[in-house]
Amino acid sequence: MDYVPHSQIPGHKIKQTGAVSLKGIKKQFNFKDRELKVLSEFSLDVQPGEFVSIVGPSGCGKSTLLRLIAGLDDTYDGTIALDGQRVAGTSLERGLVFQDHRLFPWMTLEDNIALALTNRQISKDAKAKLVADHIALVGLKGFEKAFPHQLSGGMAQRAAIARSLVNEPKVLLLDEPFGALDALTRVHLQGELQRIWLAQGSTMIMITHDVEEALYLGDRVVVMQANPGRITHTVDVNLPHPRDRASPVLHKLKDEILAELTNVPEPSNPIVRLIKGDDQ
Amino acid sequence: MKPDLKLILSVGSPLLLLIVWQAVTAFKLFPPEVLVSPTAVIAAFGEVITTGELQRHLSESLTRLAGGFTTGASLGLLFGLALALSKTVERVFGPTFQALRQVPVLAFIPMLILLLGIDEVFKIVIIAKAAFFPVALAAYDSVKGVPKSYFEVSSLYRAPWWVLISKILIPATIPNILAGVRLSLTRSWLVLVAAELIVADSGLGQMMEMGRQMFRLDIVMVGVIVAGVIGFALDRLFQLLQAHALRWKTA
Amino acid sequence: MTLKTLNLNAFKPVWLMGLIPPVLFLLWWDHEAVKGGANALAFVSLAQVGQALIDMFATGELGLSYGSSLGRALSGLLIGGGIGTLVGIAMGLSKPIEWAASPIYNSFRQVPILGWLPLIGLWFGSGDLSKLIIVALSAFYPTVLYTFEGLKQVEARLLDVARVYRLSGWQTFWRIQWPAALPSIFTGLFQALAFTWISTIGVELLFSSGAGLGAMMQQAQLQARLDIVLVCILFVGLTGFAINFLIKRLSQHVLSWRSIRA
Ligand SMILES: Nc1ncnc2c1ncn2[C@@H]1O[C@H](COP(=O)(O)OP(=O)(O)O)[C@@H](O)[C@H]1O
Ligand SMILES: [Mg+2]
Repeated sequence: MDYVPHSQIPGHKIKQTGAVSLKGIKKQFNFKDRELKVLSEFSLDVQPGEFVSIVGPSGCGKSTLLRLIAGLDDTYDGTIALDGQRVAGTSLERGLVFQDHRLFPWMTLEDNIALALTNRQISKDAKAKLVADHIALVGLKGFEKAFPHQLSGGMAQRAAIARSLVNEPKVLLLDEPFGALDALTRVHLQGELQRIWLAQGSTMIMITHDVEEALYLGDRVVVMQANPGRITHTVDVNLPHPRDRASPVLHKLKDEILAELTNVPEPSNPIVRLIKGDDQ
Repeated sequence: MKPDLKLILSVGSPLLLLIVWQAVTAFKLFPPEVLVSPTAVIAAFGEVITTGELQRHLSESLTRLAGGFTTGASLGLLFGLALALSKTVERVFGPTFQALRQVPVLAFIPMLILLLGIDEVFKIVIIAKAAFFPVALAAYDSVKGVPKSYFEVSSLYRAPWWVLISKILIPATIPNILAGVRLSLTRSWLVLVAAELIVADSGLGQMMEMGRQMFRLDIVMVGVIVAGVIGFALDRLFQLLQAHALRWKTA
Repeated sequence: MTLKTLNLNAFKPVWLMGLIPPVLFLLWWDHEAVKGGANALAFVSLAQVGQALIDMFATGELGLSYGSSLGRALSGLLIGGGIGTLVGIAMGLSKPIEWAASPIYNSFRQVPILGWLPLIGLWFGSGDLSKLIIVALSAFYPTVLYTFEGLKQVEARLLDVARVYRLSGWQTFWRIQWPAALPSIFTGLFQALAFTWISTIGVELLFSSGAGLGAMMQQAQLQARLDIVLVCILFVGLTGFAINFLIKRLSQHVLSWRSIRA
């Protein structure tokens, strides 16, 4: 299959920034004096404005990888660069959406989103406008003064997406953003995310365990395996956005990926393996 | 951060306090009625032990505590259970119980002195009263808190009443009741020290109060330390007992 | 309203049954007092207690004692609670401070609060200052503990959000850690409030010179005036009741978002 660069996909804004390059990432946790290899020789190049989905069994290091890119964890080998610049620590250029919304219960939706702008050197009015625009972008107009507990799960997750986009990051990292939602809301938000991505044009790297979701949204789907976490396969999805869920191409790809993921014997949890190893 | 910094700081800070204390007294910055050195306190400790004074006061205090605490805690347990298990008892005695619970035990000391004098009976009664309420409340709350579904399950299997009590009621309530008993023990010790300070005729409290009136700062400090150590030891001892009684919970 | 939804039980005077023990007790008490006999010295009639209440009100004695006890409790709460919150914050935010301070805090806390009185009395006399120190100390302990625990329990997942948006240490504290710890801090303050009232009565009983309900009781006891003692117990109890009621109400209010946190 030929790869069509995402920038040639009709309807997509063309961006020059937001290239993420991961080279030979190795990450291990020290657990009870033993080393737990979580990622090994992980390399991936993401182009500006591209949407990359990552799927893999749970425990294969997907969240760990995203935390490294976000800069929440600096202890790894290899290089992570954004537009050729090595990343160090967190930055407003790299947004992150967690699986749980992580809105602060004591702040209104508006304040939660404005929190992301705390250290941006722009005027108060500019901040207010950014907040209002992004609330509108995720379709939450009218809920500015609502507290998180007054929002449904889907609305809270949309607010979290707005919060991560309000800084107009070059790259948005999403860690199973719809994993905690019910099936209907999930389908709805997938459509919303696609619309937002087309409108915003920033690079997105999304982790999911839902192969259908990965294929529906991604220009590329990266398939990972565990122990240690590594890429086993990359699938290009040469379909224009917005996509048709019923497309036979998507279904064929889904069957392929699922076959690959389920062929591998059940991945054992490395920690359990470690503990078992202690007994021997 | 180095892992042993924790050890250094948590051992070092009390040590530093002692050294500063010793240094301040070594330079005689304060007269001995105001500050005595740690070594003087240790000497006073030796003094009250060799004269047997400390042992006498302490055994008086602890005997008192044992009497008052066991009386109060067992009565509290019985009362709390009765209150929780019988609607009539709850209706008749509940309001009085809830009202009396609001009055700090210490406030009853002057009344009890007038009614009972300052003899042993008064001290036992005031300690028993301090021990009574936390246990009664814990027993009442925990029995009331046993989910109805537990009883439904047991009636489903036609369990006889003794099974109901031994297999459901006791395991479900014992952790909270023991927590209440532990609180009772701490309260009893606090009230005992206070009562002995007020009446000041025997016990650890009296030793401290006499020390104060005779400006024997060293004796007072020995008293403070002993009161703290005993309070801590009682609580720890009970905690061990509690852990032993509840070991099925973690297993 | 239909007859079915009408709860007839609510109109049955079952709560009157709760009056049986106090009424019986008072009748017995009054009988003993009026009859005289072995306990006549101690027992006072209800009429006497009522008279004492009126007299103490009229002379302003009661108001003065009550006011000074309340004032002592509240200033102790303010001072001890304020310092306690600061110490708790320091311990909650800095591990080295936590390590250095906890052994000292934990060993001082073992001493029964009134056991400090002879020592404090030697240093600061048996006046108001010594009493205030003890009362403040009784507020200090729970506020330190609950402020510290509240800050410790702020979840790492919330702090990650602060890092992603590059909040400074101060911004993280003020916008995230402090509000997250607030329910716990309030719990500590409520406990401190209850403790200060108890310790206020305690210190006043022990150092019974000066004004205060506890001092008044203690002096009345020395003069064998049970009527005055009983009036004081009534006010100590009513205040305890009011404090517990207030705490219950305030916690429902203040802690309301705790349940929706998850
Ligand atoms: N802070 C940590 N300390 C030790 N082990 C960790 C830590 N975080 C994650 N792990 C381990 O690393 C592995 C990968 O975790 P994670 O990246 O969360 O997986 P995924 O998101 O793919 O489900 C798991 O086995 C997990 O137990
Ligand atoms: Mg994960």
